[in-house]
Amino acid sequence: MKIVASYNVKGGVGKTSTAVNLAYLSAADGRRTLLWDLDPQGAATFLFRIKPRVKGGSAKLVSGTRPIEAGLKGTDFPGLDLLPADFTYRNMDIDLAHSKKLTLGTLLDGLAEEYDVVFLDTPPSLSLVSENVLRAADVVLVPIIPTVLAVRTYDQLTDFVASFNGHHPTLHAFFSMADRRKSLHRSVLTDLPQQRSGISPTAIPAASLIEQMAVRREPVPVYAPHSAATKAYRSLWTELSDLLG
Amino acid sequence: MAEVSDTLSLEWGGRPARGATGPMLAALEPAAHRYSFQPGARRRSSVTYLDTVDRRLRKKGLSLRHESASDSGVLVAAGPDGVDSTPLPEEPAWPALAERLPAGSVADRVGPAMWVRAVAPVVETVVVSREITARNEDDKIVARLHWQEATANGSPTLARVSLDPLRGYAADAERIARLLADSGEFVVAERSVAEVWLRHAADGEAERRPGIAPGMSADVAVATALLGFLDAIERNVAGTIDDVDTEFLHDLRVAVRRSRSVLKLTGDVLPERLVARGARELKWLGDATTPTRDLDVYLLELDELATRLTVGTRADLDDFAAHLHRERATARRSLVRALRSKRFERWCESWRQSLAEIVSSGGSEQSGSVAELARDRVRVAYKRVLKRANAITPDCPAERVHALRKRAKELRYLLEMFAPVCDRKPHRAVVKNLKRVQDILGAFQDGEVQSASLRVFAERMLDRRSASAATLLAMGELSAGFAGEQRQARDELTDALPGFLGSSVHKRVTAMLP
Repeated sequence: MKIVASYNVKGGVGKTSTAVNLAYLSAADGRRTLLWDLDPQGAATFLFRIKPRVKGGSAKLVSGTRPIEAGLKGTDFPGLDLLPADFTYRNMDIDLAHSKKLTLGTLLDGLAEEYDVVFLDTPPSLSLVSENVLRAADVVLVPIIPTVLAVRTYDQLTDFVASFNGHHPTLHAFFSMADRRKSLHRSVLTDLPQQRSGISPTAIPAASLIEQMAVRREPVPVYAPHSAATKAYRSLWTELSDLLG
Repeated sequence: MAEVSDTLSLEWGGRPARGATGPMLAALEPAAHRYSFQPGARRRSSVTYLDTVDRRLRKKGLSLRHESASDSGVLVAAGPDGVDSTPLPEEPAWPALAERLPAGSVADRVGPAMWVRAVAPVVETVVVSREITARNEDDKIVARLHWQEATANGSPTLARVSLDPLRGYAADAERIARLLADSGEFVVAERSVAEVWLRHAADGEAERRPGIAPGMSADVAVATALLGFLDAIERNVAGTIDDVDTEFLHDLRVAVRRSRSVLKLTGDVLPERLVARGARELKWLGDATTPTRDLDVYLLELDELATRLTVGTRADLDDFAAHLHRERATARRSLVRALRSKRFERWCESWRQSLAEIVSSGGSEQSGSVAELARDRVRVAYKRVLKRANAITPDCPAERVHALRKRAKELRYLLEMFAPVCDRKPHRAVVKNLKRVQDILGAFQDGEVQSASLRVFAERMLDRRSASAATLLAMGELSAGFAGEQRQARDELTDALPGFLGSSVHKRVTAMLP
């Protein structure tokens, strides 16, 4: 079982869209897939039309008193399950701090026989939860908006992960919400992948089609299978699939 | 992902109309405020259920089916612990041995149960199906209902709805299932669709088999048993000619051997001329089948034999395998000629007719009852076995062991023939005991025969210049192995015989007889 995190310390950069669309493509590709919506706002949960509630909440989940399997929900798409968000996840930092033995990684170990890939959709923060996510992940997908400041944030993340002892996840950054009408975006899109390693040439466009996910409540490839956005997500999935092996 | 819960299947008693889901939606109407039901497109496919001729998969609780619509389809294996499926890259050809199934989970599931037998179509059905999704107030799918109408030649249409709950939505699925059941139109299906069709096929097969029964006269019982063996012979002819798998020939030979034993031990209750001709023709048939079967045994065991090589390797036996295949092709041509001959055809016809006449005549009083015959002949056959067994010593000639083996086999056939008139419990114990002795006798015989035939094969291969030195050396190793097995079987036999000769077995034989 491989763990993929969709992470960026900044909010509104396309983490949830990435996690939802890539989890869908992973399942469509035949991999038994789980998406865990760790963000208490529950956007991914909403997109799959599932109620944002986990019985026992974060405390019971993190302490291991309630099995993780009990909270799993089947999505409308074969091979793709979701562990929904719950508003109590806002306290997950505290719950993790109390639970000295269990980490998000060890909680997921129990699902190793059941899933090939687990996607973690993370809240935008640098917290104990996000540190747990980064330590558990095999690959961290980092959506970056093609601006100088966003790139600087990515550098901070790279340094942070490098400071880990032992396991280091593979960081795979890609451009998100790319608007080729803006000259700054165009120049960052062209220059950065050449200057830096670990940055994908794939760019997810800033498209209203992607924003429509919230209205359609479906992954983009379901309602716009031939769109440029779907093409970009497929390209990103191919890159990720190679990284997962 | 693991199965969330078993798929629930409900049977509809109404008259299906090519995928019309009206009756089901009407039954679900009371839940319209809670769920919306959206029927999908109508699909037509063919589903062929497969099994070996002796129904090995069904006996092990497995089913194998080939589902296809417009493409080459998918092979699905189902068992008590789950379902596996494998897409087929091309249109499959049936019958097929396990090694011809596409590698993967399906072959892994059914292969061991198939053993060396081929699977072939048992029932061919046409299925009209539709998927209906049940969505909650968030428009989220909570269950999938599968409407299915299956038809097979000569059977009424089977209409079912199965319910797949989505993970985490078991309560919704239960509510929907309850609505269907409460409507009175649907009842929970006790058997899977596969089981219904396979059972239907099995009922048809069971009707064909005659058996002996208490109260029969001796001649009617013997003629009935021989008719059953003739059925088995004829049932296996096509599979043998087509070379579907090696067991068709094996089963044909067993039926021939049983017939010969029955004629030898109980034939005196039938007309003399009939018995004389039957014995002659059965011997001819048995002889015609022996060369191919001997070669089959070698080929079936070759991979296992190769594992016993300590110096040689499997590759060293390649020339030997090629030689066996060539010889088998020649032997099979003769066998097929015999099975297609007028001689065989005429004998089968007249044999069946003569035996059927005896059965329909109700039998003659002079022949006595089947119970008397069983008592008399089993005792005689058992005494013969005891006599031969008593003559076995650790150093006696091999011929004595062979003689014991033949008598033991005759007794076994007799015991199995008279099973319906014997007391079941002691009968089973005696057969079990005898089987153990037969296994050891078989190992002794195989060791000797295979060792001797290896020598013949090696000489022929040298004559044809088709053997490398490595092959001959490997064959020498095998020959030495067979000799060792024969010695071991001899030791085991000496140990096992007292158990079979003991007073407890004697008491059981007496107790089981009518």
